[in-house]
Amino acid sequence: MTKEIRKSKGPSARRRYINNYWQLYAMMALPLAHFLLFKYLPMFGNILAFRRFRPLTGPYGVSWVGFRYFEMFLNDAGFLRAFSNTLILSVSNLVINFPIPIIFAILLNELRNLRFKRLVQTVSYMPRFISTVVVISILTELLSPSSGLLNRMLQQSFGLDPVYYMNDAAYFRPLYVLTDMWQYTGWSAIIYLAAITNINAELFEAARIDGASRWQQIRFVTLPTIMPTVMVMFILKVGHLLSLGFEKVLLMYTPANSPVSDIIDTYVYRMGFQSSANQYSYATAIGLFSGLIGLILVASSNYLSRRATGESIY
Amino acid sequence: MIRTLKPRTGGIRDKSPLLDILIYVVMFLMLLVCVTPFLYIIAMSLSSSEAILNGRVSLWPVGFSVEAYTQIFNYPNFFRAYRNTIFYTVAGTAISLTLMVMFAYPLSKSRLKGQKFVMKLVVFSMFFSGGLIPNYLLISNLKLTGTPLAMILPFAINQFNLIILINFFRSLPEELEEAARIDGLNYGGTLVRILLPLSAAALATIGLYTAVFFWNDWFYGLIYLNNEQYPVMLLLRNIVNGTTMVGEAGGVGERASVAIAVKSAVIISSTLPIILLYPFLQQYFVKGIMVGAVKG
Repeated sequence: MTKEIRKSKGPSARRRYINNYWQLYAMMALPLAHFLLFKYLPMFGNILAFRRFRPLTGPYGVSWVGFRYFEMFLNDAGFLRAFSNTLILSVSNLVINFPIPIIFAILLNELRNLRFKRLVQTVSYMPRFISTVVVISILTELLSPSSGLLNRMLQQSFGLDPVYYMNDAAYFRPLYVLTDMWQYTGWSAIIYLAAITNINAELFEAARIDGASRWQQIRFVTLPTIMPTVMVMFILKVGHLLSLGFEKVLLMYTPANSPVSDIIDTYVYRMGFQSSANQYSYATAIGLFSGLIGLILVASSNYLSRRATGESIY
Repeated sequence: MIRTLKPRTGGIRDKSPLLDILIYVVMFLMLLVCVTPFLYIIAMSLSSSEAILNGRVSLWPVGFSVEAYTQIFNYPNFFRAYRNTIFYTVAGTAISLTLMVMFAYPLSKSRLKGQKFVMKLVVFSMFFSGGLIPNYLLISNLKLTGTPLAMILPFAINQFNLIILINFFRSLPEELEEAARIDGLNYGGTLVRILLPLSAAALATIGLYTAVFFWNDWFYGLIYLNNEQYPVMLLLRNIVNGTTMVGEAGGVGERASVAIAVKSAVIISSTLPIILLYPFLQQYFVKGIMVGAVKG
């Protein structure tokens, strides 16, 4: 009996649902198609990593070759160099540039002159909106061995010989990390500043009544309360460990600094577009490999963080 | 949001002068480091070539001259690149906002069947993507290479901005929509007539992120476009690394110092729109990142 009723309700409920919602489905049809075409079809295009590519025969290759290209790059000294360069650059960048915005946010929060604080905020967020091309162009001019400000100052004050910083392998990593610091410290601090602002004022009140100094309040109230935010940001950073600022590295790349500046992404770029043979399959295999490692990194750091702190991004 | 940023710490009893000194030193250093590079480039672009040659220019123009600017403004490639960039930015932002609104509004309805699955697809695609080569091959097989669409279409939907927008739509009171539906508006009408006028701040925020992305892009111009379609950032990159010469920008000695002024002038004029607009837009940027931080 009840079954009968439910059965008869079925189609009409569905009709009501469709009557109600078809417009929403119609509305998202175009963007969804666009999204699948430009985000998921290239993902499917990764099968080229297992197939031989021939020009003018479409993006998916002509015949299966299994793990041939993977074996090739795992024995390719150029790839191994790029892989270790990526890790070194990425980890140094993380170690230096992850804590700095947190410290900056805490100090900014302690500023009591609100107008000055807003000025610092406004100015320090700005570099994030400047094109990487402009950042590297400015850097190139500042560091130019013939006319750059830095070399002239060092020469005039200490009589040092000019150094061609942009073309010197020893300076590539420091310059990469420093420009990242310049561009993103203020911007990355926003999220921590918001977390600090959301701390319940009574916590500080209680700490003060217990006689905590400002240092102690930072250490025992501010830091522990923003820890969840710090963890989430850390997971995100670890997940992107293999995807460095590819465009910036490409702009800074010179033959002289290539022993340290050739990272996975630039290697893929050169294999795909600059080698005479356009080794698309080979480059795709490398790209897929680093993408999968990235995925594993996100999943595992997310898992570890959930186990350790209860914080996760999904 | 800015108003609520009152410091919550610090008491009457504990002045911690050491902490205050540290804070002010760090903050002044921050201001200095952020502003100095721009002052240097502005000074270079407005100095006479003789002063540059003798290394007398630091943070203020020496022997004021607008020669570098007249040179780039008389250089047709610069105008063309600038016009291209404006086109990519305006068209790209318009298409991008339209598609994202049409996507975000249905996705903000958790009752909608399939909504959760599509959300999962969106989030997954933030952590894994077809790499450089599959994307390139897709664009070239769609016959988009060498057309302005290659600069615009593939980047129209940005997952971060989409999630900001979805969260924003979710934060609007549901009664509003119900009232509009009772008054006989359909979903499209509700979106356009009721919700969008209320979303100005959110749309401005993601619109600005999107516009900045298109304005600053150069790499996709490099792999997808022909010379005459290059955006201004790619032209700048080519001028700086010596692939393209502007006026006398390729010379040595006297002419090399002209080159420095010209490069500086290109840097300044290609960044000027962002630097000029930035102070006015800053409040939206910050609001935007906060809306996005609310987990969806």
